[in-house]
Amino acid sequence: MRFQDGFNFATGALRSNGLRSGLTALGIAVGIAAVVLLTSIGAGVHRYVLSEFTQFGTNLIAIVPGKTETFGISTAAVSNVRPLSLDDAAALVRVDGVVASVPVIQGNAEVEGAGRSRRSMVLGVGAEMPRVWSMRVSTGRFLPRDDQRSPRAYAVLGSKVRKELFGDRNPLGQRLRVGGDRYRIVGVMESKGQFLGFDLDDAVYVPAAKALELFDRESLMEIDLLYRAGVSVETVKGSAKRLMIARHGSEDFTIITQQQMLDVLGSVLEVLTFAVAALGGISLFVGGVGILTIMTIAVSERTAEIGLMRAIGATRGQVLRLFLYESLLLAAAGGLAGLVLGFGLALLLVFALPALPVHPSTEYVLLAEGLAVAIGLAAGIVPARNAATLQPLEALRAE
Amino acid sequence: MRIGDVFAYAYGGVVGYRLRSLLMLFAMAVGVASVVVLTGLGEGARRYVTGEFASLGTHLLIVLPGRNETTGGAPPLLGETPRDLTLDDALALQRSAAIRRIAPVTVGSAPVSFEQREREVITIGTTADFLHVRQLKILSGRFLPQTDPRRAASICVLGGKLKRELFGNRSAVGNWVRVGDRRFRVVGVLASEGRAIGIDLEDMVVIPVASAQALFDTPSLFRILVEARSQSLIPRAKQQISEIIRARHEGEDDVTVITQDAVISTFNKIFTALTMTVGGIAAISLAVAGILIMNVMLVAVSQRTAEIGVIKALGATRGTILALFVTEAGVMAAVGAVLGLALGYAVSATVGQVYPVLSITAPLWASASALCLAIVLGLVFGVLPARRAAALDPIAALARR
Repeated sequence: MRFQDGFNFATGALRSNGLRSGLTALGIAVGIAAVVLLTSIGAGVHRYVLSEFTQFGTNLIAIVPGKTETFGISTAAVSNVRPLSLDDAAALVRVDGVVASVPVIQGNAEVEGAGRSRRSMVLGVGAEMPRVWSMRVSTGRFLPRDDQRSPRAYAVLGSKVRKELFGDRNPLGQRLRVGGDRYRIVGVMESKGQFLGFDLDDAVYVPAAKALELFDRESLMEIDLLYRAGVSVETVKGSAKRLMIARHGSEDFTIITQQQMLDVLGSVLEVLTFAVAALGGISLFVGGVGILTIMTIAVSERTAEIGLMRAIGATRGQVLRLFLYESLLLAAAGGLAGLVLGFGLALLLVFALPALPVHPSTEYVLLAEGLAVAIGLAAGIVPARNAATLQPLEALRAE
Repeated sequence: MRIGDVFAYAYGGVVGYRLRSLLMLFAMAVGVASVVVLTGLGEGARRYVTGEFASLGTHLLIVLPGRNETTGGAPPLLGETPRDLTLDDALALQRSAAIRRIAPVTVGSAPVSFEQREREVITIGTTADFLHVRQLKILSGRFLPQTDPRRAASICVLGGKLKRELFGNRSAVGNWVRVGDRRFRVVGVLASEGRAIGIDLEDMVVIPVASAQALFDTPSLFRILVEARSQSLIPRAKQQISEIIRARHEGEDDVTVITQDAVISTFNKIFTALTMTVGGIAAISLAVAGILIMNVMLVAVSQRTAEIGVIKALGATRGTILALFVTEAGVMAAVGAVLGLALGYAVSATVGQVYPVLSITAPLWASASALCLAIVLGLVFGVLPARRAAALDPIAALARR
């Protein structure tokens, strides 16, 4: 028997029981559609989160004070006895491979300008910030490269603060009061949006030394380093660590590389997507039980037919293959329908809820179809074996 | 036909094809069990998290320095403000009749050393009432004494892990340790409490608030924990806190007050939504099982055509036949669902035994709705095959024998 004949036989058998085959395939289709849709959402969230994190660039290293950490936030950022200083930030630029460093202090203060006032985030940073965080200035310029310890009182506005305080008027050159101190506005940043609950547009950027004064602090909260692309992270991290230990006498800081964070996040999200896919897989499993049931019924219904085939010389292997083809076809057809259904629903979601990140990924889709075929094989094997092991004589007598 | 007969006939149909029926029951059971286990997981997570927050203490309000104009966003959990929240602000809050206790908190990170050993830990500066507000327990010694909060004293209380790391099995109470550049005498050790919301209470040192402010050279507080006199007084306490602070800060509204039940209800909402979603996804498998039941019932009807012919010839109406087959599908779904419930609870109990931290108990609504959904699906998917059976012409059905 040629493969073509076996295939035709299987399709014929499936078609003669159209409704039954359709329903069985539908079971698999629902399962596959669930898997496709859920993994699309999972992959979408994955991409969304990674892009949130990489929008500041990927070649970043952060140094925070203190050795202990809880949930990525060090209590040492609040207060500590071993401060990170502006001099540390300046010294770190000299590390081989480091292009720029930015001292960071973050706080919250009353900002007054043009007769209006607003409570906003205040970020004390260095002149290199736009380069390190890949942000852009929309009008004017960013803070100038002054002496880090006594910078001029210039401020740069986030786009939202500008809109709230100045409306459509030009803020450049205007005076701004931040927590009582006076600044002159030299620039406005381009809109960057929210990042993990921090609205970077609702912020005012001032020189780090001024922010230390304003908040009456000794220590920076963080130093961000930008290193040259192509340089090994570990080398830069190692040299930065040696330099800091030499300056502080002991390792009283923590170095976090962007790559580490991305790796951790990536693996967490991978697990999440997999878990979600497994949830959809339950339906797929139930669909597989459906194929098993229907194939069992088919074998018992067609006992006489099997007997006849065996009587005219079909081998056990051929009978086995015929029934396997049948269940494989059922599963594959169901899987295909499920793919179409799942993709359709995913596209519908993209249109209906643009806020929800949905991204159908081909690898999961191929995996799902492969899974459907595997289920067809697994569910078909027992009934097909039962059919193959029937005694031809006994089977014929069932007529 | 009596109702008993209908059920007896349905039972006969289920038992008559044993393997096929078992497979269907299995499919339905898997669906129901997955709903039970997954909603149980969600519910367990919800209870764990809200329990964590509730263990922070009852009637708790938290005052943070700083406020963002953008309402609805996250409060400024970290970060500095030009106007400090001072110890005097905290003490002023005691004037409110709605407030029972306050505990000002300064946190920071400092190395703690004893003899050769040193460990960098979270250092909390607070007052005696912190023990009651956070409902902590003392393992040995005592907590910070009730003294004037403005006066620094060289005493400290160690967390359980810190004590073990520094002292091992020796007694810590009475010894001097170095925190940062100052020396403190250990007066007590906290009982194990585990983690609570990000701060490892095991691995910390507690010193008087004035000492901490001197150590970190800051006049500012990180938080003020406030305990209201009763549940009903929480809104009034919140309002009075705002008023007192505003009066002290020259009319500026620059603190954020979070109430504990607001936090808990937010988490409740998030986790309930999560549980519903996960349960819903699992319920898709119930629909797949329903399709399977319909499929098998269709097969059953075509296999039992002759039987249906006989029943009809004996005078059964279309309604009776319809009832017979719908009942069979319903019975199948119901038995499968009950088995699934049992399976689900068994799995939950096993997981509960292995991981006692996570108590997996499916909420009653989830179990009940999974059961109902399964039965309804069985009945609905049973209708088409049953109608097919009922529409058979008795003579033609008999003739096919």
